[in-house]
Amino acid sequence: MAYRSHILLCSGTGCVSCGAFTLKETLKTELQKRNLQDEIQVVTTGCQGFCAEGPIMIVQPDGIFYCQVKPSDVPTIVEEHFIKGRPVKKLLYTGAAKATPIPALKDIPFFAKQQLVVLRNRGLVDPDKIEDYIAVDGYSALSKALTEMKPEAIIAEIKRSGLRGRGGGGFPAGIKWETCRKAYLQRNVEPVVICNADEGDPGAYMDRSIIESDPHAVLEGMAIAAYAIGAKEGFIYIRHEYPLARQRLLNAIEQAKEYGLLGENILNTNFSFNIEIVQGAGAFVCGESTALMASLEGEVGEPRAKYIHTVEYGYKNRPSNLNNVETYANVPLIILRGSDWFASMGTGDPRENPWNGSSGTKVFSLVGKVNNTGLIEVPMGISLREIIFDIGGGIPKGKKFKAVQTGGPSGGCLPESKLDMPVDFDSLTEAGSMMGSGGMIVMDEETCMVDVARYFISFLTEESCGKCTPCREGLRTMLDILNRICEGKGKEEDIAFLEEMGEVMQDCCLCALGTSAPNPVLSTIEYFKNEYLEHIKNHKCPGGVCKELITYVIDKNKCDGCHACTKVCSSNAIKGEAKKLHSIDTTKCIKCGACIEVCTKDAIYKE
Amino acid sequence: MADNTIKIKINGFEVEAFDRQPLIEVAEKIGVKIPTLCHNPIIEPYGVCRICTVEVRHRNRVRMVTACNYPVTNGIEVFTDSERVIRNRKLIIEWLLGRCGNVKVLNDLAEQYGITEPRFGRGTDDCILCGLCVRMCQDVVKANVLGFFERGPKRYVSTSFDQTSDLCITCGACASVCPTGCIKIDKLEEGTYKEMPMGPVTPIHIDFMQAVPKKAVIDKESCINFKTGGCKVCVDVCEAEAIDHSMEAKEKEVDVGTIILSTGFKLQNGEELKEYGYGKYPNILSSLDFEVLNNANGPTGGKIFTQDGRVPKSIGIVHCVGSRDKKYHEYCSRVCCMYALKFAHLIKEKIHDCEVYNFYIDMRCFGKGYEEFYNRLLKEGVNFVRGKVAEITDAALDKSEQGKLILRAEDTLIGTVRRIPVDMVVLCLAIEAQEDAKEVSHFFSCSVGRDGFFIEKHPKLAPVSTAADGIFIAGVAQGPKDIPDTVAQAGAAASAVLSLIQQKEVEAEVVTASIDEEICSGCQICVGLCPYTAITYNKDKNISELNEALCKGCGTCVAACPSGAAQQKNFRDNQIFAEIKGILAV
Repeated sequence: MAYRSHILLCSGTGCVSCGAFTLKETLKTELQKRNLQDEIQVVTTGCQGFCAEGPIMIVQPDGIFYCQVKPSDVPTIVEEHFIKGRPVKKLLYTGAAKATPIPALKDIPFFAKQQLVVLRNRGLVDPDKIEDYIAVDGYSALSKALTEMKPEAIIAEIKRSGLRGRGGGGFPAGIKWETCRKAYLQRNVEPVVICNADEGDPGAYMDRSIIESDPHAVLEGMAIAAYAIGAKEGFIYIRHEYPLARQRLLNAIEQAKEYGLLGENILNTNFSFNIEIVQGAGAFVCGESTALMASLEGEVGEPRAKYIHTVEYGYKNRPSNLNNVETYANVPLIILRGSDWFASMGTGDPRENPWNGSSGTKVFSLVGKVNNTGLIEVPMGISLREIIFDIGGGIPKGKKFKAVQTGGPSGGCLPESKLDMPVDFDSLTEAGSMMGSGGMIVMDEETCMVDVARYFISFLTEESCGKCTPCREGLRTMLDILNRICEGKGKEEDIAFLEEMGEVMQDCCLCALGTSAPNPVLSTIEYFKNEYLEHIKNHKCPGGVCKELITYVIDKNKCDGCHACTKVCSSNAIKGEAKKLHSIDTTKCIKCGACIEVCTKDAIYKE
Repeated sequence: MADNTIKIKINGFEVEAFDRQPLIEVAEKIGVKIPTLCHNPIIEPYGVCRICTVEVRHRNRVRMVTACNYPVTNGIEVFTDSERVIRNRKLIIEWLLGRCGNVKVLNDLAEQYGITEPRFGRGTDDCILCGLCVRMCQDVVKANVLGFFERGPKRYVSTSFDQTSDLCITCGACASVCPTGCIKIDKLEEGTYKEMPMGPVTPIHIDFMQAVPKKAVIDKESCINFKTGGCKVCVDVCEAEAIDHSMEAKEKEVDVGTIILSTGFKLQNGEELKEYGYGKYPNILSSLDFEVLNNANGPTGGKIFTQDGRVPKSIGIVHCVGSRDKKYHEYCSRVCCMYALKFAHLIKEKIHDCEVYNFYIDMRCFGKGYEEFYNRLLKEGVNFVRGKVAEITDAALDKSEQGKLILRAEDTLIGTVRRIPVDMVVLCLAIEAQEDAKEVSHFFSCSVGRDGFFIEKHPKLAPVSTAADGIFIAGVAQGPKDIPDTVAQAGAAASAVLSLIQQKEVEAEVVTASIDEEICSGCQICVGLCPYTAITYNKDKNISELNEALCKGCGTCVAACPSGAAQQKNFRDNQIFAEIKGILAV
């Protein structure tokens, strides 16, 4: 039966936690009440990416975008949109500036500048239905690979496309596959294909979203890789904290097996491939290849020296091809549309040398002090400014931009002067940060860069496995010094000392977690040395964050004595008679910031 | 140049190496010492202390690698003490000092690199987390007792749930590789005295200094390989490749003409004498236990200690424990008096102020120079109490007896019952025949007496021979005796054997029995009767067969044979009858 209209309801984790499932039920009941259930279909889709505006729904075929929909809005939507045929204005996207509402999704700036390759099916297919995926050409790349291409040809195609590892390292996937196949043929030991879904960076959720919205793309990519390398066995190492993604993968594997797209003799060829899902136990370091494989084997997830590569001797000493979720998700389209198409996106021409430039797109999770937080996919080479100001809609409350942190906890913080830099693997590394798996945290003027460095170093100290000396002791001592600086007890030589420790860690740590761990400190020292000096010399925190260095002050000219602040102050630090100037007792003040939030006159500020 | 030989440069010198050989090995070969704290050649490299980080250059690429596990490849240039390497190394040492400020190996390194005061201060931990002990326990010993716990700066080495582990085989391998000496092995409260000081000091040992052949053996009880299947470090280091853990005891058949039975004796089990508390109280030793403890090659190097490590201030030596006692053995064990005197003398020599009490029934100092030795001891201040000890207890009656072992005995010379508190007791346990002496005697056609010792052919005229030809006896297997007597008897047995061998042939008895195959019904009556085991039963033919070489012609079988199949040669029935007939005809 043909429906006249479809409601595409986002069911990514963001929207689900805002009540998307309740909304779905309410919608269905309401449609039934109006006897519209045969005319309008409600479809749950993967993450739309615009998480800041959730729960999100898109009405097709008009492409009308509704955001922040509550169950109480449902009767209005059904009444207005489906019966009377006019969009509900109050639920349309307006943007931070509260300007004219934009009804169509394609016109919203957040979506307009994105280029969807990996996320091509987001908001389009139901991730729990393989039929949906097949309907949008799903698994035709696998069929093409199995029936028309030799393994060598597939590897050549991937190499030519310039696809580089999306997990952070940026190693050309084609070269990895080629080495793995070579190791397999030389040693005649059956290789394995592993997908790294142990996404642990704070604020990053690209891989989770890709799996949640399009699990079959990952499975198809892995199957193609397995065929090209010669593997019959595959693993997806997914972190324990992603239950929805894991459930969708399990479901997808089940369906693919039913359709003969996984398992024995896929598509009636000689190729057999099975995928097993393994859950991580929550250690950040298990995202590192050798630690991940140790964990897969049932050992303690600790890295080992990589002088012998895992691609040759990895999981149980078998040749092991480890790629990230996003890398695999790119593969089907490259096979289907050709390497020329993929290489045409992004920077450089990788067709002769995959190290030359960064082709394709990259998914970022844009979070922090930016209006449109969410998941975005942009072509490589786009500038940071475009991402933050055009797609991200700039900084909230008109504050000034200070820095953007890329590459997860081991990445670096880039200042305003780097905003016009193209976003690709090599430029980011050159600037002292890294691509990482695609976390992007925007910071405004009210951020303290020393505190940011301290936060990331503290995260890494917690997550360091402690196996090698420089990482274990280096992070501990760095954290001590940063804590001291934040408390105003820093010494001038601390900066040089931090730099020295950072360089030694880069030289001597056992795994990439350790060698990249000093990046937050080194990049903030490079670009924001003044803030360090302010803390050390003048005992001031320019961002107004470090509690020991700030005091709360009431502006004499603005305070009208409304008593709002005295009511919320939990430590009774604010005194003053009604309608008269209040004052803060700094000995009692715990600097919680509650007073600033409630003051209607903006009379309280940090000094 | 062999196929896998390559050339690399270390600090400018060209060196030959095997492809993918660990860098630290290659450097060591040319005398370049790279410091490391987590590397031990018998354990797989781990690469965690990072002190051995060196600079490797190859085709414009500069890498910092750890020498302990970096596999060298052709053409690389290594710099083990470039400015960058030294800077890194110094900071790592400083970092480690920040954790373990008082560890000697670190302070030695710090001195070598001119670090006087680390910028992070000095920590008080002892463990540098090199992981040698953990890898030793997991990868080499395979006991899997030690492991790392927590992560990051909180990481530490321990056993599961920080509890004493049942899996620990107390091999001590962890402590032996610990570079800082922070692993201590606690003596458990019970059992250590019995197991530790009495067994060999190391699993691989030479039994005793006079051992023949003087070869090292592996103690199965304490060898790690027999417990966990791991270790085998000795196999790796033995250049002669002489060690094989899979070797088993084998049965071998040897054809010989004569045999000397010298199967020795066993000491009576002290636990049979409940009143003496052997096995119940820790400081009661058998004479053999004391001999081991007192031996210069023994576990304490010959020093006398109580179980809790104290030097005993008083020791009681009890004679005739189980000997000259109708409840156990009526005979005298013969050697106890003299070795008890030897113990007393040695104790006095090692611990001058130790009071030694000998409890005896009679002093039997019968040999050459023995009586003189006894008299010397009397002068040395050893106490002799004539009387049999009734019991040994730890139940104190007053303060002076607390924490001591009290020997209660009647002193028959002064006619009073005495309680003597001591720190240690040595029991002169009875010498007993081996448990299987009877079976052995059957096997060799000789016999044992009521006391279980082998019986000689004649107590005066043939003291080393037995009833069976070619079988001789020597030593305590024949009866309790001391070393000189044993050596003399063994010499006699050996010469008896040699004279037989020298003759090259044996004179057999002319008059032997014979069994007629045709008549024998296979009833086997003769088999059981033959005192020389000369008759065996042939199952296939269902007849008894006689070995003429063993037969002494005693005629027992002839007399017993119901069918008349067994006949004495030259004395057959018809011959006798013919003889009678002849006499009667005269």
